Amino acid sequence: MKSPIFYLLLLITFALLAWGTYQALVVAPPEATMGDAQRIFYYHVPAATAASILFGINFLASIWYLWKRNPQADALAVAGAEVGVVFFGVVLVSGPIWARYAWGTFWVWDARLTTSLILWLLYMSYLVLRRSSEAGSTSVMAAALAVFAALDMPIVYMSNRWFRTNHPQPMIGTLNLNPDMQKVLLWNMLAFVMFGLLIAWFRYDIERTGQVINALHIQKAARGSLAMMMPAPAMFLFVDDKLLHEKMVQHRYMVAGYIAVWTIYLGYLLFLFAKLRRLKKEYREIS
Amino acid sequence: MSPSVFKLAAANLGKDLRLEWRSRDVLNSMLFFALLVVVIFSFAFEPTAEESRRLAGGLIWVAFLFSTTMALNQSWARELRNGVLDAYRVAPAPAEALFLGKCLANYILVLLLECLMAPLFVVFYNLRSVGPYWQLVVIFLLGTWALVINGTFFAAMSIRTRNRELMLPLLLLPISIPAVLAMVTATTAVLTGEFSPAGQIKFLAVFCVVYTTVSFLLFETVLNAE
Repeated sequence: MKSPIFYLLLLITFALLAWGTYQALVVAPPEATMGDAQRIFYYHVPAATAASILFGINFLASIWYLWKRNPQADALAVAGAEVGVVFFGVVLVSGPIWARYAWGTFWVWDARLTTSLILWLLYMSYLVLRRSSEAGSTSVMAAALAVFAALDMPIVYMSNRWFRTNHPQPMIGTLNLNPDMQKVLLWNMLAFVMFGLLIAWFRYDIERTGQVINALHIQKAARGSLAMMMPAPAMFLFVDDKLLHEKMVQHRYMVAGYIAVWTIYLGYLLFLFAKLRRLKKEYREIS
Repeated sequence: MSPSVFKLAAANLGKDLRLEWRSRDVLNSMLFFALLVVVIFSFAFEPTAEESRRLAGGLIWVAFLFSTTMALNQSWARELRNGVLDAYRVAPAPAEALFLGKCLANYILVLLLECLMAPLFVVFYNLRSVGPYWQLVVIFLLGTWALVINGTFFAAMSIRTRNRELMLPLLLLPISIPAVLAMVTATTAVLTGEFSPAGQIKFLAVFCVVYTTVSFLLFETVLNAE
């Protein structure tokens, strides 16, 4: 089903992920005030970058679909939106864990956070629409909604100007970021963007298989993206224990972040594999 | 010679308003619903004059947002029941005319609701505008259009999904968040007189222009989606 290029890329991506994680955990210097808790940054930012690229893919594929009406574009749009929602879920879970340490609170209604949450809600509504519309009209309606959603983004960003922001400003290429940290961040960015695109490719193939089988009752992924809410309650395990050494506290936040984020990624991958197995079974029954 | 888009839109508008005038089911249920929201909010928040001025912007728009959703669902459900949508698909009239007529009809209905509800808000929440009140008129005209244009579009979409009426808020609310934010902030600005709503009003105007354009571009595609 997949080309050898896919497997080659898979290998490279896993090597990059391992290398990136090693860099983030061992090589990168600890931050002056936040210590280990700051290491969440090395997958928080790359996940956001990957998700933005995936939503971009969703937008372009939707326009392509509205124009040419070919099923490949539709499958690409689904893959972009769904994997984008998962990666953005990672952003929305890892961000609060860091914020709990750095700001002392999980969530504030600030410009960047509000924008991100609305973005996530928009693409969730896209997935919900795909799930509940009737077979024939799904693709067209979803594509139209994708155009609306993509247009909403600059507008949401504009509307948030009247919120104050606490969120750290983008730092790549500026003097504020320690060059060692920047190098680690860029490695991680490369790794996670490739990871995201690869999962999207995988998801795209599954969608194409689904289209070929023309299974009307394929379960769409809203369930998969809800599964990522599961690690969220883990955040409430954190109490500020005054007896703990500060370094320990920072360490705990870092570990919690990693656990939460990889639960989401692996949970989603498991979901995709289960889906693939179901489709294969169905395919065997039909042919 | 075929009649112009505006003539057809006017015919659609006339039809919708006549239907509504004869049955009055949408307006009645909208009004009653908004009234209930006002009463329930006042129990929930116990507004005194000073506090309510800060809260009122949000309360007014939440009440109108929910009752607008009701009206929008009804406006297309009626067409579906009588097979008008199918008739429209085969008719040579442009889909834009239908959409424009629908939007205007909904706009008029919701504005009417707002005119009727405004005195109630003033009475129940003891409101008095500190800023210049004519700005409120501009905010309501633009804000209502922002809700109605997207709402009419997404209602046409959601009416054809499996869970129909349930779907509309799920699609409409995320898209409308920036507009609702602007409406609420602008209304609060005028009521408290603490800052100028000019920025938010401009923002609402941009929102209306962008989404009116996209809705008209995509409506025919969505109507014919099969």
